[in-house]
Amino acid sequence: MKERPYADPYLAGVALGLVLLASFAIAGRGLGASGAFAATAAGLTNAVAPARAAANPLWSRYLAGGGPWREWLLFELAGVVIGGFVSALLAGRSRRTIERGPRMSGRARIACAAGGGMLMGFGAILARGCTSGLALTGGALLAVGSWLFIGAAFFAAYLFAPLLRRAWR
Amino acid sequence: MTHRVLAVLAALLGVLAVFAGTPYPAKLDVRALAAEIAAEDDHVTAIELAQWIRDRKAGLRIFDLRSAEEFGEYHVPTAKRAALEELVSMRFTPADTIVLISDGGAHAAQAWVLLRASGTPHVYFLRGGLGEWLDDVMNPVGASSDVAALSRYFGGLPRSGTPSAKTTNTVREMKRRGC
Amino acid sequence: MSDSLLIALAIGVAFGFALERAGLGSARKLAGQFYLTDLTVFKVMFSAIVTAMLGAFWLARLGIVDLSRVYVPETWLVPQLVGGLVFGAGFVIAGLCPGTSCVAAAAGRVDGVAVVGGMFAGVLVTGFLFPSLQSLYDTTGRGAQTLPQLLHVSYGVVVCAVVAMALAGFRAAEWLENRT
Repeated sequence: MKERPYADPYLAGVALGLVLLASFAIAGRGLGASGAFAATAAGLTNAVAPARAAANPLWSRYLAGGGPWREWLLFELAGVVIGGFVSALLAGRSRRTIERGPRMSGRARIACAAGGGMLMGFGAILARGCTSGLALTGGALLAVGSWLFIGAAFFAAYLFAPLLRRAWR
Repeated sequence: MTHRVLAVLAALLGVLAVFAGTPYPAKLDVRALAAEIAAEDDHVTAIELAQWIRDRKAGLRIFDLRSAEEFGEYHVPTAKRAALEELVSMRFTPADTIVLISDGGAHAAQAWVLLRASGTPHVYFLRGGLGEWLDDVMNPVGASSDVAALSRYFGGLPRSGTPSAKTTNTVREMKRRGC
Repeated sequence: MSDSLLIALAIGVAFGFALERAGLGSARKLAGQFYLTDLTVFKVMFSAIVTAMLGAFWLARLGIVDLSRVYVPETWLVPQLVGGLVFGAGFVIAGLCPGTSCVAAAAGRVDGVAVVGGMFAGVLVTGFLFPSLQSLYDTTGRGAQTLPQLLHVSYGVVVCAVVAMALAGFRAAEWLENRT
């Protein structure tokens, strides 16, 4: 299937911004992603070791209210998966592959992906969010800590990029 | 081309935002207003008002909230009549000093809250209402020479004696006495 | 399924679709940001921020949206600084962020699945380590503080400044990309 080109980044950004705006107007809140991971972790811990989950200040927060499985972000992230899937399918970009830099092996790539993911998991918990929840949402709402997060994240990424040249270039 | 349009649009909306004021809905800062009331910054005495009128205080605007009839019978010199609904639709500037008068002061006090809540800066009400004006300015009893002079400036009748239990003068009584 | 969760799903679908269309489901494209060869991340992110920011400001100013009832992410200075640094390092190593990793995974990218797995593991480990992290976690909270409040300027001034910064950034991005 012929692959469709990517959308113009500015137009895609505007579209994304409109989705975010719609979220503000309709749901009274913005987007997010890492929170869904936290909610899932809370839910699984609770299923396996409820006492531990309740005692943990991080997980217990998600156990309140309707419970972790009714967390807004969980449904939103499920939607992200669906939306991403449909878009990729329609654009002919849907294929099972390991995307990696030209000088990196598939195995090494998977290891980096997992390792980087772990760091992001830690950072997102500490910062109470990630690029979706803080950079996009908090950024648009002029939240101080969100802009601080943007600056710190970009700074660290550029700082470590030279060390990872072999991975990407 | 589309990029240029978007960029110009964004720039325009951004620059306009500087002059647009606050995006938050006007909220009643109840605590701040309560503090003003407690500090008694919300009202003036009749004597103070009389001094302001005599000294032609810049930006002084006096509004009488009573009925047209009552206003026609007697009103504080330089006061204008205004119904409450009219008053809250008026736009005032920081240069204005607004004084509100009603019969006993209650209605004027309510108007004070409404005007302050909508952001009007220099608002006061005559706490004792028109009654206080009649008592302390038009018919003061045992007043100092300064106050007596002030009273006469407005055509009042200062009397000697001890200011005992306040007899709230009415307009009718005052007219009977002649002024 | 309640209304609000249905809305969350719908919003998510639109979010994921837009991300994939922009090419942010591709780790190589995302990584290009940090080698200044492909600045798609910057362009998409800041176009989105400016759009939503201007939209929120003007809809609020016109009384259509009540800005005071939109949830503003809280500010925690030290945790967000430290968390941001760690997150950024992880981002350039993984080439995907939490949201885009789900998009990549949905498109069949195994590396995307690996990032999702790694993130999940990282969150779990952080949870277990939480007692020792709690003091760091709970420090320097400032509530829903906004830049206008911090800088003691009007909201509109900050909005204008962000727009100016973004437009200048886009100019620079085009120049950088056309260089190579």
